[in-house]
Amino acid sequence: MKKNLFLPFAITMLAFTATSCEKDINAINKNNPNQFTDSDPVLMMTGAEMANVLISEGEAARLSGLFAGHFIGADRQFISYSQYKMTAGDFNTPWGNLYTEGVAQCRLIRTKALKANNMELFGVANITEANLLLAASGLWGDVPDVEACDDNIDNPKYDKMSDVTKHCIAMLDSAIPHVTGSNAYSVAYAGTFDWAEVANTMKARAYLRLKDYAKAKAAASAGVSKGNDMFANHSTETPGAWNLYYDFLDWNRGGYIGCDGSHIASLLDTASAKCRNNAKTDEMGRFNYYFTMDYYTHIDPNMVDGIFKTTSNFTLASYVENELILAECEQRLGDNTAALSHLNNARAELDATFTGFQPYVIADFGPSALISGATASDALLKEILTEKYVSLFGQLEPFCDVRRTNNLIGIVPTFGTELPKRFLYPQDEINTNSKTPAGATLFTPLELFQ
Amino acid sequence: MKLKLLNYVLLPMGFIFSNGIQAQNDTGPGDTAVIEEVSVTATGMKQSTRKMGYTTSQVQGKRLATSGEGGVIQALSGKASNVQITKNSGDPGAGAYIQIRGQNTITGNTQPLIIVDGVPVSNSSLGGGIDGVVQQSRLNDINPQDIENVEVLKGAAAAAIWGTRAANGVILITTKKGKKGVHVEFSSSLSLDYVNREYEKQGIYGQGSGGKFVANSGGSWGDKIASRSGADSFNMAGAKFVADDGSIYRPILKKGDNKVYNDVNRDQVFRTGVTWNNNISISSATDKSSIFFSASDWNQQGVLNGMSDYRRTTGRLNFVNQANDKLTISLNGFVSKIFSNRIQQGSNLDGLYLGYLRTSPDFDNTDYSGTYYSAAGIPTFNAHRGYRKYLGNSPPTYNNPGWTLNKQSNTSDVTRFTVTPEIGYKYASNSKMTVRVGYDMSNDRRLTYFPVNSASSNANGSFTDEFIQESELSFHAINQSDFKINSDLKINTTVGYLYTNYNLYDIGGTASQFILTNQDRYAFINSTSANKNPFNSVTKTLNNRVYGIADIEYKDKIFIQATLASEASSTYNNRFFSPSASVGYEFTKDMAKNDMLSYGKLRVSGGIVGVAPPPYIWGTNYVNASSASGWGDYMDASQFGGSIYRSSTKGNPNIKPERKTEIEMGADLKFLKNKVSLGFTYYQNKTEGAILAVAVPASSGYSNQWKNAATITNTGLEFDLNVNLMTSKDFTWNLYGNMGMNRNIVESLSGATSVFLDGFTGTSSRAVVGQAMGSFWGGKFMRNESGKYVLDANGFPQQAVSEGIIGNPNPKYRGSIGMNATYKGLTMNVLVETSQGNQMWAGTYAVLNNFGITPETANEVTVSAADAAKIVNVNGKTIDQMVAANADGSFTVRGNLEDFNNNGNKVLLDQSWYTGLGGGFGSVSEHFIKDASWVRIREVSLNYVVPTNICKMMHVPGLTLGFSARNLALWTKFPGIDPETNLSGVSNGRGLDYFTNPGTRSYMFSLKVNL
Repeated sequence: MKKNLFLPFAITMLAFTATSCEKDINAINKNNPNQFTDSDPVLMMTGAEMANVLISEGEAARLSGLFAGHFIGADRQFISYSQYKMTAGDFNTPWGNLYTEGVAQCRLIRTKALKANNMELFGVANITEANLLLAASGLWGDVPDVEACDDNIDNPKYDKMSDVTKHCIAMLDSAIPHVTGSNAYSVAYAGTFDWAEVANTMKARAYLRLKDYAKAKAAASAGVSKGNDMFANHSTETPGAWNLYYDFLDWNRGGYIGCDGSHIASLLDTASAKCRNNAKTDEMGRFNYYFTMDYYTHIDPNMVDGIFKTTSNFTLASYVENELILAECEQRLGDNTAALSHLNNARAELDATFTGFQPYVIADFGPSALISGATASDALLKEILTEKYVSLFGQLEPFCDVRRTNNLIGIVPTFGTELPKRFLYPQDEINTNSKTPAGATLFTPLELFQ
Repeated sequence: MKLKLLNYVLLPMGFIFSNGIQAQNDTGPGDTAVIEEVSVTATGMKQSTRKMGYTTSQVQGKRLATSGEGGVIQALSGKASNVQITKNSGDPGAGAYIQIRGQNTITGNTQPLIIVDGVPVSNSSLGGGIDGVVQQSRLNDINPQDIENVEVLKGAAAAAIWGTRAANGVILITTKKGKKGVHVEFSSSLSLDYVNREYEKQGIYGQGSGGKFVANSGGSWGDKIASRSGADSFNMAGAKFVADDGSIYRPILKKGDNKVYNDVNRDQVFRTGVTWNNNISISSATDKSSIFFSASDWNQQGVLNGMSDYRRTTGRLNFVNQANDKLTISLNGFVSKIFSNRIQQGSNLDGLYLGYLRTSPDFDNTDYSGTYYSAAGIPTFNAHRGYRKYLGNSPPTYNNPGWTLNKQSNTSDVTRFTVTPEIGYKYASNSKMTVRVGYDMSNDRRLTYFPVNSASSNANGSFTDEFIQESELSFHAINQSDFKINSDLKINTTVGYLYTNYNLYDIGGTASQFILTNQDRYAFINSTSANKNPFNSVTKTLNNRVYGIADIEYKDKIFIQATLASEASSTYNNRFFSPSASVGYEFTKDMAKNDMLSYGKLRVSGGIVGVAPPPYIWGTNYVNASSASGWGDYMDASQFGGSIYRSSTKGNPNIKPERKTEIEMGADLKFLKNKVSLGFTYYQNKTEGAILAVAVPASSGYSNQWKNAATITNTGLEFDLNVNLMTSKDFTWNLYGNMGMNRNIVESLSGATSVFLDGFTGTSSRAVVGQAMGSFWGGKFMRNESGKYVLDANGFPQQAVSEGIIGNPNPKYRGSIGMNATYKGLTMNVLVETSQGNQMWAGTYAVLNNFGITPETANEVTVSAADAAKIVNVNGKTIDQMVAANADGSFTVRGNLEDFNNNGNKVLLDQSWYTGLGGGFGSVSEHFIKDASWVRIREVSLNYVVPTNICKMMHVPGLTLGFSARNLALWTKFPGIDPETNLSGVSNGRGLDYFTNPGTRSYMFSLKVNL
């Protein structure tokens, strides 16, 4: 009998030996062999910038363009979108990109940068975050800001659009002293830009929303200077790096979005009654850069050899925009001469790029002048805003401008009689955040764009 | 020999075993009730079924082999109550999804644990999703003809010792052992497969839009094909496409071809699938040892007319040696080699059905490959021609199906082996120690190749070489001691220790943007370094458990079992305890013997099992940065010097296993001298703390967090019936059937309303509070309080602002009924199966509406002039604004008239409706959730054992001829495809159809020779 007990005894011992390794068993789960547990803030910054590019140039920009007459949905879901038939679920992705890949990372980077006393990085993170939150509040209005991306808060509250805008201005103000003359930490960007100039142009955009034209003017005066535009970097011709519009318009979703019948095409197309060509303006060069003919639809955004081709860098902040902000501010503050001079600065820049833009004089504006309007002043403002609408093709700002100015330039909706006034709060957020405001439709105006 | 074969066919339940050697069984027909039915328990030991306090379902190996299915899982269809099998598709070697008593988990493993000869083996189906190729299920690596018996443990009590692996049930497979004497059996079969359901395509209107032909356009909203002149006119001087066979295609100046190519295009895609299956087995045993050897070769060519095949070659050796009266040593070894070619499917511009079904009826897909010459005569070799680029001047938007079938390559090369050494030592008269080691390993090398000029993002070529290695080592020690307290009371105890070590390695790389564009090489050399993307991952989980089982038997009529398992694992912190208990009471022992109710047992059981958390969810990871819009455009950090930032999924260090508590009760009854047996079971279970990455507000900085968040309940009923209608020497006639009902409800999701499981942005299969798991979620029509459409100014319904629940993929009940009849050597088996009340998302049909391909979109209506001035389409255009009047003043227009509860005011559904909300790309999908109930003749088989005298004349000891048909008939209202398929394969997202490869019907002819 004794001998017979040996085997079970041996096995029981083996069993206990193995059981005693329980702690070691647990340890293998703590160390995920496939991922990291922390990162370097400089390395994180590129990711946040990529999210910023995706917001500025991806789905949020495309939908803004559909709502502002830049684009026409020509296939699949985008036909419905063009008829402003959208559900809350259609807005999940840009919102998710913006917060989780953008704002959340910026806030982590900021903390890490402060710890490392890297104030330049602190500034860049601030500017990136401000740009993202300005995009969010410009599209959705009231959005989480103060309580957003805080590990201790599960359901962040929504802050008023005006408060978010002011907070962004404050973030930019705290960044500017640390980034003057710098364009560090900008792998995802291109251009000889200066972070401080870019921050000032962004501040000016924010003040425009607050209708504080004096402060907008002051900020824009230190804004993006000639030759120092900031771009998203698409110099590599490969998916994941190349122009995001190209990626969508041709590579992945050929024919989904066109420009045939869009407001912007009608402004540049000589075949259209609305064409802006006049004695001092010839839009042919810009038309050819913006559009390509009969590719998917009759007029398509130019992803072949123009603005949205594979290696076209995408404009994020430009001298032209900054000059047009200054022009608008001056006009609003009553100085038409200064306004015209900034408009002409922008036209000179356009002429250098496309040719066909001679400077205007004040007499070109008025009831029966070259640019007609009830008054010269009205005509001038409309021209400034129209020029900005055309110059910023594919960008987020025109949709904000259209709503901010109550569609002063007269964009005709592609469906019904009303342009959309906002993005819908995303279904994902409605499902999970009890504080998400309810009841808004696509046509409910935002606080600052009433 | 004849008698032996008959036994084999006739005995509905298992055989008695002793020391692992199968008893020679010479009982004649009709004696079945005499034989004690034996079940296999979770420890891999045998136990008398009569003495169990819980239910299991048993399927004889024989029934798997005659089903005609190459895969074990598919062969189980309809054979056990509440065991739902869903094939991924009809592709050769396609995997299948098993659901036992409803879904118990959200993100965890949904599949039952598979135990073969006492050791856990893999049934993974890695990969799969809404595009790509159909993946295999690893259980199907096994040769069904090696299987003696399959035991399905459904409830928690039956499976409790497997703790966190048992929540989805356990399937125990016992392979064959050697039989006394020497038996050589050779069998060979030929199967012919056919597509069992197809989509009907309209053949009236051609490619184009708005009633006009437009070359290369996606839709078939063009002109009427029959009204055309007869032949196209071409630009003879311009560019051209010269097909591989020399046919020349030139730019069309005017479309005049009035032929319809639906049949030509169909024949390009489908063929008769052919399978040869050869199997040889040698079985031999003496008093002291037994050997079972088998070798098999399953060689299948699929119904898709291209690189679609599956070849499985297996070998097995099961050896048992009884060294002396105490020591038994055995070794089971199995090896399998599988090579398969698969076809791209699903939401995939390079997929088969997407390109095939969307093709306009007036386009001939025959020539898909050739050379394009520009107007200047410059050639582009290896050019791809399809209906979206008829000259092949650049890649078409969708693949020509010929290209998908013949130019793309998707191989899987699997090597699988399992070895199971076991020692049993009877160290005392009442005690036995068993030590079992299992090692199961599979390697799968998968190649994915898209040549240059494939559609979409693969236009410049893409090649992926991936190597997956999965292995599990298990060590299992079991001590059994039996104690007889007195003549009435017996206690059997089992104590076990089990250690498992699971490893999964996945390594590979992708090379894209080929530099040499006109030669196919499956090598990374054809890309620049910027376009080579390697990947790898490692998953390792360790697990150990100890358990004890006490079986108490009182007066051979009350059977009590109590078990307790305690488990530690690398994926959670504290030990997990699984207790269970069961009681069986054979009440007929306390009744006067009567023929009416000849046997009766009541049983009650309950237990707790679990689902282990996935590995590596304790911490929040820092991951490679990537930002994607959901439409394909994205920013990739590796293109910008690299970036690693915080994942949007938040970890959870306090994660615990999901905990499933189940109570089950029922009865097993036999009536009329055991002629009728009926099993009945009611169960109720609740999974608490189901793990999921709970969606959290993105504004919190994360999109989701791992939590023990959800509570899911399942309640159900099961019936199993067997009736021996006739039992005589020459004739037996047997009816059998089962029915299962399961109600699943997601009780809580910790605050979230819904969790995405699988599917698309517009329509998905989700977990939604208060609904069954997998419920459909998507865009709905706007309705008022009374449920009526809120119509727009033109009288059309509009979409609601928010998405919501639109359907349920779970059946209300499933059941099957079968008949088995034997007359002398002839056996016939028929199995009819049904699933009722399940819905499915008809994604393919919905999108074919958008493209003007479904016959309903090609309908024509004729209305009076008055109506034509009144009836509008969705854009508000009246019919008389769109078409000219007929000679009689009436108007005929393409479309359908519909009244959306608008007091008889009809509207016209035409292109503008179908390409909007009336089609699959509109944002409303509730009208595409369709009833997917079905009834099918699952199996019909006929086997004929050739009489001995004829065999003698042919000089063979035994000969059996067989014929079987699978899916012989299918009745369903679901459009276009066998609803027993699922796009997302073995995932927890259910009921999705979107250009899924089709299901099949098959006929098998077999021959078995005993030597």
